[in-house]
Amino acid sequence: MTPAQAHVTRLKVHVTTFAVSVVAAAVLVTAQQGQAPGGAGAELSTTVNLGGGSGWRGVVPAGAVPRLPDGTVDLSGVWQGGGPGGSNGNLERGLAPGETIPILPAAKAKMASRGVLDNTEALCLPAGVPRVPSSYPWRMVQTPTHRKATHIFILFEANIHSFRQIFMDGRKHPTDLDPSWYGHSIGWFEGDTLVIDSIGFNDRSTLDGNYPQTTQKHIIERWTRKDLGHMVNEITIDDPGAYSRPFKVTFPATLRVGDEIMEYICNENNQIGIAGGYIKAQ
Amino acid sequence: MTARLVALVIGMALLPAAVPVGAHHGFSSEYDEKKPVTLTGVVSKLEWTNPHARFYIDVKDASGKVTNWNFELASLNSLRRNGWTQFTLKVGDVVTASGYAALSGVPMANASSVRLPDGTRLFAETSAPSVQQTPQP
Repeated sequence: MTPAQAHVTRLKVHVTTFAVSVVAAAVLVTAQQGQAPGGAGAELSTTVNLGGGSGWRGVVPAGAVPRLPDGTVDLSGVWQGGGPGGSNGNLERGLAPGETIPILPAAKAKMASRGVLDNTEALCLPAGVPRVPSSYPWRMVQTPTHRKATHIFILFEANIHSFRQIFMDGRKHPTDLDPSWYGHSIGWFEGDTLVIDSIGFNDRSTLDGNYPQTTQKHIIERWTRKDLGHMVNEITIDDPGAYSRPFKVTFPATLRVGDEIMEYICNENNQIGIAGGYIKAQ
Repeated sequence: MTARLVALVIGMALLPAAVPVGAHHGFSSEYDEKKPVTLTGVVSKLEWTNPHARFYIDVKDASGKVTNWNFELASLNSLRRNGWTQFTLKVGDVVTASGYAALSGVPMANASSVRLPDGTRLFAETSAPSVQQTPQP
């Protein structure tokens, strides 16, 4: 097959799969609008940007959960999703039916005061945890590759082109952590579920672009690979500085076979605020 | 070139309503859905960059006054994954660009489609034999 033929074949796949994804998305929209008033519906109705996310329209593969030679579930690969994302915040989408976000009055006031230029993603700053940068892909890397990992790295494509590192070697959290965007993460496996415990966050990031956080934030992620193409992240958020009790949100992730993470230098040409009138053009 | 944009053929027709793309910023915080614009002009500059690629066109009004419009596209990454390259638009091309105007009134817009002098409509048409049967917006 020539490169040109391969390209045409790939494009055929795009068209076919996109038609399917449109139907699926329409169903998703309907479901989300009923589930999260003011969240999903508001964002979708205003997202006219030309694929402001990653533009991926590939096929999610079917198959069994892959495993390393020692039997440990293999989570490596290029993924999308797994947390609240988008430019307008959508943490509510991850709540169980009937659940609410127990935000404290001071945090609620802070959220209400947030403007366009307070959105860290729009400012080309890290999305933080558990926020996932829009629909851009990220790659999970486990090392060593032939047995249970001692280190896991999450390499983000976008917003910003950065990484998280999860220490799987049995160490504890340091007691003198400086506040940071991604915090300090330790992890372990409970059966086939990867558990990641993270603390040491700053208060500049947010949970999803809207919901605020404090330096007391403690995140426990439980990543479970359901099959070859799907993973679920059950996230427990405990931040007594902003929320009256711990609460859970759950977000799916899908494998992007054939895709690679690309360079994304957000500060290269960020013109946020000019079209909206928040910043004067220079 | 047009064949390489086929992934967006039906995408542009349906994307605004159906696909939950994650933007670098919220559309409604910068642009006005109720202010669609369609402008014809000469491409004066291209920015193949993140978080958004951009093209600029000089638009002449009835009095002869020229205004340089800044059209925002998706991220370089998104465009690249859908067949665009840095050579898809060229300085000097005369194009008709459609989109949504900036809230602030400055000559900026969020692009929805671009038509080239040869009739090619980026995001909307393709000459690739393999995809000529795809629905047109």
